[in-house]
Amino acid sequence: MTTLEGLAQGLNVALDPSVLIYSLFGALLGTLVGVLPGIGAMAAITLLLPITYYISSQAALVMLAAVYYGAQYGGAVASILLRLPGTPQSAVTTLDGYPMAQQGRAGVALFTAMISSFAGSMLGIVILVMLAGWLSDLATSFGAAEYTAMMVMGLVAASTVGTGRPAKALAMVVLGVILGCVGTDVNSGVQRFTFGQVQLLDGINLVALAMGLFGLAEVIGNIRKAERHGPPAKVSLRQLIPTRDDVRHLFAPITRGTLLGSFFGALPGTGSTISSFLSYALERKVSRNPERFGHGAIEGIAGPESANNSASITAFVPTLTLGIPGDPIMALMLGALVIHGIQPGPMMLQDHPNMFWGLVVSFGIGNLFLLILNLPLIGIWVSMLRIPFRWLYPAIIVFVCLGVYSVRGATFDIVMVAGIGAIGYALAVAAFSPALLLLGFVLGPLIETNMRRALLISRGDAMIFIERPIACGFVIATVLLLAVPLVKRIRTR
Amino acid sequence: MQRDYYDLIWGGILALLGLGVAAYAVAHYDFGSLRRMGPGFFPVLLGIGLAGLGTIIAVPAFGRTTEARAFAWPETIGVIGSLLLFGLLLNRLGLMGSTAITVLVASSVAPRKGILWRLVLTVVVTALVWVLFVLGLDMSIPVWPQGY
Repeated sequence: MTTLEGLAQGLNVALDPSVLIYSLFGALLGTLVGVLPGIGAMAAITLLLPITYYISSQAALVMLAAVYYGAQYGGAVASILLRLPGTPQSAVTTLDGYPMAQQGRAGVALFTAMISSFAGSMLGIVILVMLAGWLSDLATSFGAAEYTAMMVMGLVAASTVGTGRPAKALAMVVLGVILGCVGTDVNSGVQRFTFGQVQLLDGINLVALAMGLFGLAEVIGNIRKAERHGPPAKVSLRQLIPTRDDVRHLFAPITRGTLLGSFFGALPGTGSTISSFLSYALERKVSRNPERFGHGAIEGIAGPESANNSASITAFVPTLTLGIPGDPIMALMLGALVIHGIQPGPMMLQDHPNMFWGLVVSFGIGNLFLLILNLPLIGIWVSMLRIPFRWLYPAIIVFVCLGVYSVRGATFDIVMVAGIGAIGYALAVAAFSPALLLLGFVLGPLIETNMRRALLISRGDAMIFIERPIACGFVIATVLLLAVPLVKRIRTR
Repeated sequence: MQRDYYDLIWGGILALLGLGVAAYAVAHYDFGSLRRMGPGFFPVLLGIGLAGLGTIIAVPAFGRTTEARAFAWPETIGVIGSLLLFGLLLNRLGLMGSTAITVLVASSVAPRKGILWRLVLTVVVTALVWVLFVLGLDMSIPVWPQGY
């Protein structure tokens, strides 16, 4: 099928009213949770997951994806107006967005964030289509050894790129993989680390883990923090219009941000948060007057905002073409697909063209919708920031309980979420990354299965990971990723 | 400034957990060989890895100072407690009762005095839950207290 035929078919799916309505609903809900600090895309998607049992697979995926990229738009609002990141991906936007708001240029900052997000998403869609076709062809030659090496590389990249302390990051990944071992071992049927609990036979519930680590831990941390800010500045439509000088400063950062975001989004392990930080660092490095950064440099918003949006689109590449989720949110998407009996992989484009192309086109429609709607709606989003967090979080807690309970009707899972939430908060206070734990949890079982298969094929010869050229490439990249921070450390001593 | 207790404590916990996982796996599961990995192979390897990483995190923390980071004890207890109550009471009190109690307990740790707003919030959230989950989604869940 050519790209054009695919897009035509996708248009057919995405414009179907029963799909379109979910895409618009998801985009709006995503923006809302993005705007509100303390609730992110992760929590919203986990809460929506049980609802997706009742709707068609296309509608489900389109809605969840829309929540994800909608949140990227909304996240910037709180970052700019309150210096309180609405989502982790927009944390870096506070650095220059808030100073701009202080200088009375909040409107321009918001406009920059919106237009950069839109441009990043649209270019990201083009790159997604190109990469997905190419990777699907390539992936047919992937064996167990390649899958293993690639996933290990993804985990190592996530721990070493853009994190301050690789040892703490790696510890979270390993802890996640260990938690992934809990339950019945698929290869031998042995029950591992279940301690006789029947509820643990299927392993730790992904929804429970995600809600505890993200939903609850963030609520606990934000109860006090979110009350400590003044009212946001009023923003009128007229203030959104940038000056000619501003516009001139947008093109290059958006292009660089999009390319960077597309690359790191498509790489399993690294995702939109890391891309936004890297893009900010890049913009400061290439700028002729880097001292403007931190004092309201418009490039400091344009780069990261385009990077995190393009990354959230290209993150679908490994998820759909290899069946490997690159970040925890993609793991939930994969879960939603599997619930509907679709196993993503190299054959996805051939076997489920409706799903793939429908999703691609819905990205375009959703982003266009967000751009058109968000500019006039900006006043409403800003007024949302006036809702105090103390009115929201008790409701969030009840929704978390019901969301977890609804998966299989077990109160055991609610108690488990409570425990995970407490541990998650304690880890977050000590600056451990819960996202990496979840990533290890999701990829761990896949790595174990593929590694066993690879070594079974090679009759126990570990050289299989080096003899096969593509696998060898991944191994070399992994070693480099581990060596670079180590060498840097020794040099600074 | 204070000694980096968080890294010290968590490094220690992770190292011990790693050793525990490895030891438990060695004792209970077949390790197998490279050619045919047993169910114990992966956990043993991971446990040792976690023990090593935990040590790397904890040891340098001895001599290092860091900014004091406050642990929000009351908020943690309030939020976690409200969840536990929901989980324990759901099958006895039903959805309405446990929702109301959860909201009251959770909102008790909010940094704002006053009873009235808490009661209003409780009524609003409970009503919202009824509309969304009972009327809207028709969720199969005990709604009112169950007789014994």
